[in-house]
Amino acid sequence: MSDRVLSRVIRRETHSPRTVAMAVAVVLVILALIYVGLEIVLDLLSQPALLIAPADALAQLADVPGIQPSGTVIGIGVLVAIVGLVFLVLSLTPGRLSKHRMDIGDRAVIVDNGVLAASLAQRISDEAGIPRDHITVGVAHRVVDVVITPDAGLPIDASRVRLIADEEMAGYRLTPPVKTVVKIAAPKEQEFSR
Amino acid sequence: MNQTNRALNRILLFLIGLVLLAVGAAMVAAAASPVVGDVWRSTSEQLESGLLGAAQASPIGTSGVSWVIVGALAAIVILIVLLIVVLARLGGGRSRSVLQSSMDENTLGRVVVKDSFASDALTHSLASRGDVVSAKVTAAEVQKETVLHISVTPQRNTSPRVIALEVDRLASNLAVLTGQDIPTYVSIRTGLRARLATEHRELA
Repeated sequence: MSDRVLSRVIRRETHSPRTVAMAVAVVLVILALIYVGLEIVLDLLSQPALLIAPADALAQLADVPGIQPSGTVIGIGVLVAIVGLVFLVLSLTPGRLSKHRMDIGDRAVIVDNGVLAASLAQRISDEAGIPRDHITVGVAHRVVDVVITPDAGLPIDASRVRLIADEEMAGYRLTPPVKTVVKIAAPKEQEFSR
Repeated sequence: MNQTNRALNRILLFLIGLVLLAVGAAMVAAAASPVVGDVWRSTSEQLESGLLGAAQASPIGTSGVSWVIVGALAAIVILIVLLIVVLARLGGGRSRSVLQSSMDENTLGRVVVKDSFASDALTHSLASRGDVVSAKVTAAEVQKETVLHISVTPQRNTSPRVIALEVDRLASNLAVLTGQDIPTYVSIRTGLRARLATEHRELA
């Protein structure tokens, strides 16, 4: 019973609700509808139209392809199509948030990727004796990137770092599991070498 | 966590996106290709004459106003109201009553666990830890079940494993104490406060 509830919670917490995009789209539609309604009401009251009376708009619809320069129509069309495409993509993509699920205890634990990254960087720093500010960790959905920028002349044992990172990541018991990639960057330029 | 209808969000986004994409693509095609332009022209002329014909065929008395126009106006108003209702219903689902009706009766008397007890106990235990910047306990209603949400912002560079185990322990203790095992989920978050509460300023 509660497993079903918790898995629902996990899904909702790790995916974007798309509320903002939906609100933007709906507000756009509402504004357009208000405008059309206003023009109709003004027309019924025989008042001058705001921009164009409904009957004239309908009549001029046929001339849209002939408007010169045709670039205007194409430009507006492209703009409208792009906005539509963005909404479509947003509605169809999963919208994963940068969070992971940890299988610790019998409760649902959801952890921000930033917390994982900071913790992993600290662990590597402690275990391998590399200064914390030489370690950059990026946590993505399925992969963890560890980039170490050593001081010039100080070799870093990448395999040892990978071992530490793998062990630490295994301790988090993440779902879905992530792969650890360790990269050693070119040594930092020292201040005095300039 | 709230009760926003996410399926509705996506359906609306999909439909609005589809319409905008279709209109935009039609405009581009009509302006760029003479063939499509002719189709556009004949279609919109048909549309115009059809609507005008319908309007003339359905006058309201002698006022010169047509049912078609009134109907269109009514449809627009209804649509606007529906969309505003959708916007107004966003969110919701938070519940304040954690462990509300937990009563134990025995020979000594009755124990009533008050609303805020669970959240106070948990928040306090967590906040007193040095590696926790802030902790918050809320309750949400998910599919008519109360779910406890423990949100913890640990100090930067703290292992989420340590935090998770600790929260799990505290929640289990609470469950034993109150005799109610409420489904609980824990979120471990980063935040501005976590970033400021540490000597390390680098991005990790």
